[in-house]
Amino acid sequence: MKTYDIIVIGGGMMGTSCAYYLTQEGLKVALIERGDIAGGTVSHTDGYIGASEKQPGVDSMQGAESMKLFDEMRKTFDYDFEYATNENDDPIGFVYFCDSEFEFEKAKEQVAKNQALGIEQYAVDPYILQQLEPNCAKDLTGGMWVPKDGAVCPFRVAFGFVEEAKKTGLLDVFTRTEVLDIKQDPNTKAVQGVVTDKGEFAAPKVVNAAGCWAPFIGAMVGMEVPIEPRFGQLTVSEKTGKITQNRLALEYGYYLTKFFQDGERPIDPLVKAYNVCLNITSDITGNTVVGGCRLFRGFSIKSEYRIISAVAQRGIRYYPMLKDFNCIRSFAGIRPFSLDHLPIVSDVEEVPGFYMACGHEGDGITLGPITGKLISQYATGKPLQFELAKELAWSRWQGRDIAAYKKKEEENSKALKAVEEAYLASLEK
Amino acid sequence: MARIDDEMLVCRCEEVTVGEIREAIAQGAFDVVGVKRRTRAGMGLCQGRTCEKMVQQLISMELGVAPNETGVSSTRPPVRPVSYGALAEGVF
Repeated sequence: MKTYDIIVIGGGMMGTSCAYYLTQEGLKVALIERGDIAGGTVSHTDGYIGASEKQPGVDSMQGAESMKLFDEMRKTFDYDFEYATNENDDPIGFVYFCDSEFEFEKAKEQVAKNQALGIEQYAVDPYILQQLEPNCAKDLTGGMWVPKDGAVCPFRVAFGFVEEAKKTGLLDVFTRTEVLDIKQDPNTKAVQGVVTDKGEFAAPKVVNAAGCWAPFIGAMVGMEVPIEPRFGQLTVSEKTGKITQNRLALEYGYYLTKFFQDGERPIDPLVKAYNVCLNITSDITGNTVVGGCRLFRGFSIKSEYRIISAVAQRGIRYYPMLKDFNCIRSFAGIRPFSLDHLPIVSDVEEVPGFYMACGHEGDGITLGPITGKLISQYATGKPLQFELAKELAWSRWQGRDIAAYKKKEEENSKALKAVEEAYLASLEK
Repeated sequence: MARIDDEMLVCRCEEVTVGEIREAIAQGAFDVVGVKRRTRAGMGLCQGRTCEKMVQQLISMELGVAPNETGVSSTRPPVRPVSYGALAEGVF
């Protein structure tokens, strides 16, 4: 039987990052993945990274810490993960568009809170907005600028973690290998290894980095993991050059819908029916990625035509020139939503040797590095990267009524479904 | 059969060579989608219409598996390039 210091389950953003940081600590790691590296959520999303798209507090702090690690990685990695920088070699920055006084007021509140935490972001008037994004619509109320947010190619980050970790000689990668069970000591419940469809692996430590599928892995050690899939869909353009001036751009409504406090956006019924909010990036590759939405579709990742249409509408609203460019592809993915909005990153007291690194929803690309780093600190008993990190621990779920959280998520899902159904019914009339 | 030159272009849209595809396979890619993500072969304007068969053949040769065991790229709309303007108006 193959024996390791630690087994990481899942070859996505979290699993590859954990594998990398654990090998940096000198641990011998097996990375076990059912499909291929970067085959799930990480290759079905955009590459936004930054601290601004988070609620002020531990959430924005972990974003800021992760950005520091990205900065380290771009200097030390040989594997190019398309970290986009401006002419001063800074991250390219991020712009939010506010399309109403309501949105602009909400943005200003967020700016004040995050500035107090030392995160650099500014509310900007329409004039400055035009300087930042010359191709954007001319009739916007205002915006928010986050100069230090950036963009990467998400799956190249995951491949990069693997290739850099391999250099230590401490990483073995097992793709097309599915974990079927986790072995535990019958008395202490401590983990002893995993059983896969390709044989058994022994290790005193196991990391659950299975993203949307983390609940299935958690159940193997008797845990009810409060993570459910949320659906997002994006489109890709032909080569356009810089529609966004090497900055990523979002409508502020994206942030608001994330926390279900949309207000009333001035939008078309189609856009509302599919909960679509613009996020747009002109990539280093010359393509522009235009999204997105937040919906509930179970584990399906099928692209839907009506969402493509709504995304195109939103794109043209904020970048009128987009209408003449071709869309060459759409793609959809699921994001592992932790039912209290915060990822779960820590050890698990009731199962010695078991670690959780999952539940990052749409923030997984940003939070990949800090999550791997924290897990490497938990696994080696070193002090955590930042004090507030303890708020991400699994222990917060002890004693909570998970069924109540699930019910709330189901209600959100039903409410969105009702809007969609009402829209579809209106089409038939 | 003579070894195919590393410099030969396979994906014209994204300018990916045989050598880059071999490197991706050496790093762990085992199917068309894995090669695509590691190299961008098939991510361009033609969406792999031209190169997918060649990528399959290369994987087949490098890994010693049958071409039909090398997978296909996932099918995603639109089936041909369509302007965002047309999509916004609803061409479905």
